[in-house]
Amino acid sequence: MIRTLFVLLVLLVLAAAATSVIPHLKMRTELDGAGLEYARRGLEDTGSINLVTAVIVAYRGLDTLGEVVVLFSAATSVMLILSLFPLGRGPTDPSFIVAHTARVLPAPIMLLAVYFTTHSHLSPGGGFPGGTIMASAFLLVMLGSSSTPAGSKILPALEALSGTTFGLLGLWGTMTLGQFLNNRVIGIGNPGYLVSAGIIPLVSLAIGVKVASEFSGIFAAFRKSGGNR
Amino acid sequence: MNPSLASALAVFLGGMMLAASVVVLFVRDLLSAIIITGMISLSASVLFLLMDATDVAITEASIGAVLATLIFLWGKGKMGGRE
Repeated sequence: MIRTLFVLLVLLVLAAAATSVIPHLKMRTELDGAGLEYARRGLEDTGSINLVTAVIVAYRGLDTLGEVVVLFSAATSVMLILSLFPLGRGPTDPSFIVAHTARVLPAPIMLLAVYFTTHSHLSPGGGFPGGTIMASAFLLVMLGSSSTPAGSKILPALEALSGTTFGLLGLWGTMTLGQFLNNRVIGIGNPGYLVSAGIIPLVSLAIGVKVASEFSGIFAAFRKSGGNR
Repeated sequence: MNPSLASALAVFLGGMMLAASVVVLFVRDLLSAIIITGMISLSASVLFLLMDATDVAITEASIGAVLATLIFLWGKGKMGGRE
């Protein structure tokens, strides 16, 4: 009872704080500052039709690298904790429905993920959502089998490879043009083609593979935790 | 989409998210709490779509609505009956 009242009190205080801000909010109808600059020069600068990807991978690529590092440390900690404190019962046999779905669905899911990852400079998508969707295809395959996942030795190798690729692509810009993650180390080509926009597709692919292997590693650790088969 | 229809949908989804986020604090069953959290994420993804932020909508749907819910559900399954 006291707990419920306390929660309600905290909620009311938060609501009051939020409503006091509302009159000061301004609805912007036009871009200004950096946003205007990105929208005006983005296509010319990077050759990427999807301006969101241009900002994420090219203009603010260093922030994305930081994000990848954060995700890496989070995944590593989860796997460490799960290996130190085993949890639950270990793998169980899949039900009939899961076992049969896992034979059909992973291929189309993987296709969608590869599309999102490789076409991020042309249409909405990107390395992060593509990677998580890839990991969910892997998860479905894993849930459909009754043994511990195979290939858990390949996952760390893939993760290291893609992380190194991201870093080296960035350093390539430092070596040749004096700017980390410069997009123009290779030509930007014709905007609208699959092979265009400089290193953006390569970086997206590296991010996608890295995110996919990290989440797959977390899932495999979850699955294995608490008993082997 | 028709602008007034879009804003009606946005107000409906926003109100539902607010209500759900209050309800989730008081619900007793862990499974219900996880499903409600997933529903909030899915509504957020639709809101992003209404604001023409397709990239963010895709990311929110794949990470917030699917992956986080899945990990919570899995954790609940691993814990068994204990809550």
